[in-house]
Amino acid sequence: MMLAFILLGALAIVGGVITIAAKNAVHASLGLVGTLLCVAGLFATLNASFLAATQVIVYAGAVMVLFLFVIMLLNANQPVTERDPVPYVRELAGIGGTLLAGAFVVLAFTFKDPRPLAEGAEALRGGSALVMGETLLTRFLLPFEAVSILLLVAIVGAVALVQRPAAQPDGVPDELEEPVGAPQEERRQVPRGAAPALMQTRGAQDGEVRA
Amino acid sequence: MPDWLATLLISLLKAVLVVLGLLTTFAYMTLIERRLLGRMQLRPGPNRVGPMGLLQPAADAIKSIFKEDLTVTLADKLVYTLAPIVAIGMALTAFGGLPAGPAGSLFGENPWVYNLDTGILALLALTSMGVYGIFLGGWASGSKYPILGGLRSSAQMISYELGMGLSLLGLLMIVGTTSFHGIVGWQAQNGPMILFQSLGFVLFLISSFAETNRTPFDLPEAEQEIVAGYLTEYSAIKWALFQMAEYVNMITASAVMSTLFFGGWKGPQFLNALIPGISDWPLIWLIVKIAFFLFLFIWVRATLPRLRYDQLMRFGWKLVLPLALANTMLTAAFLAFRGSGGLWFLGVLSLAGVLALLVLSDRVRTLWNQPSIRPEGDIVRAGGD
Repeated sequence: MMLAFILLGALAIVGGVITIAAKNAVHASLGLVGTLLCVAGLFATLNASFLAATQVIVYAGAVMVLFLFVIMLLNANQPVTERDPVPYVRELAGIGGTLLAGAFVVLAFTFKDPRPLAEGAEALRGGSALVMGETLLTRFLLPFEAVSILLLVAIVGAVALVQRPAAQPDGVPDELEEPVGAPQEERRQVPRGAAPALMQTRGAQDGEVRA
Repeated sequence: MPDWLATLLISLLKAVLVVLGLLTTFAYMTLIERRLLGRMQLRPGPNRVGPMGLLQPAADAIKSIFKEDLTVTLADKLVYTLAPIVAIGMALTAFGGLPAGPAGSLFGENPWVYNLDTGILALLALTSMGVYGIFLGGWASGSKYPILGGLRSSAQMISYELGMGLSLLGLLMIVGTTSFHGIVGWQAQNGPMILFQSLGFVLFLISSFAETNRTPFDLPEAEQEIVAGYLTEYSAIKWALFQMAEYVNMITASAVMSTLFFGGWKGPQFLNALIPGISDWPLIWLIVKIAFFLFLFIWVRATLPRLRYDQLMRFGWKLVLPLALANTMLTAAFLAFRGSGGLWFLGVLSLAGVLALLVLSDRVRTLWNQPSIRPEGDIVRAGGD
């Protein structure tokens, strides 16, 4: 178990390095998938099997697929070679990283067990769904519900953002249209079938997802 | 030989046997499928290689191994090779957790490769990783149709994963454990789960068809629209690996449905009167049940036409997902308020749900058949369908 833990930890770090070092965005996200899987393995070696399964289902199986989906749809897998738009971004990132590492070191040396390890392992009872559910829905009910409302708000927000009025579907550039004031009347006359093919609009390199 | 080494070797042996069994089933499944489809379409099907075409799988295997393995210039070499391996690896791993008999019944060994407390969750996790094979294969091919197929299939599989997971929640609430052994044991005492969760089973069956990319949900490889989808640029053994993954996923889905809803490796109890102990024989009952579901897969393929892509999405999001949620709510409410009543009433409610769905199918069909028509004068908005 100890050996597996160390190996998985090392692999997780390798995946993390690939994530930030890979030039191709798809390779980078595959590195992240590897890291997430290794973290799931770490959970499994710590006897938290429910957490491990959920980690794979939610993060590696759904979230990362959506990441890759967006990368492929936007064709964003090419490396960007322009000058960085944010000044001193590397230096700032270095400072942030150092601060974070320092915080972790402080955390590691001042950490005290809230209760003895044997007692904690006893309470975990193999990390099955039963124990998790019991804890989440009794002691942590309020945070649990708050998080679910937060996620709901995020979903509603995403739908609201996507549902904004579309650019002119008739192929006439916006500036040639009538000025602001009566855009809705204008759209009303556009027949429904007049929209150009989806790929054409996307080809304009504005990188906007419409589907 | 130390104890742990013996356990390890036996586990390895069992894993190899499972893989061999699955691959043999895959090979003959292709033949049976082609023959059966032929029968259903009033033609003989492949019957030239060997007696009754029985050597056809061998011929196919030799052909796909010795064909030239093409790689497109624009392909991403690493991911292109990795994709079929991921697909088949996840498909083969998922099967090992399913129990095929009582403990210690297979020459004194347990008839399963690994046993996890989180059995059903682990299986869902492994099958959800299977998306990567198709998805990455489509992208790494570096050409247009594969990427369209890959995008389609990942959207499809993610959408139906939700319905699949949710349709099992009612079952998990009734049984109260996620391990396959617990579920099979519960069914041995209380009767097969299909009696109490018929609505959940119907939803799970539909989602399984979508997850395994079978007709009527075989959008990822709709040859009339996108050549062969993510498979377009693949050839020889890599192509065969993808095919294997698809069929192994089908076998796993059949085994999961048998285990969760039809009593798993347990045979019918009344046969014990004829031959004592026959319902506890390992392997045989699970294989019989798997064979039934595999036949169902073929039968449906010969019967139903393919859905259009927008119909597929609406079907998943407007029908399967809400119904799975409703099933969860129904079961939860029943379990909370039933007092000391038996489970049979839940079974009646569930069956009534399925029947209502069948009777009202003409009303329900508009949910996914008609594109949502905007009222005249409504603003055209981005997004939507």
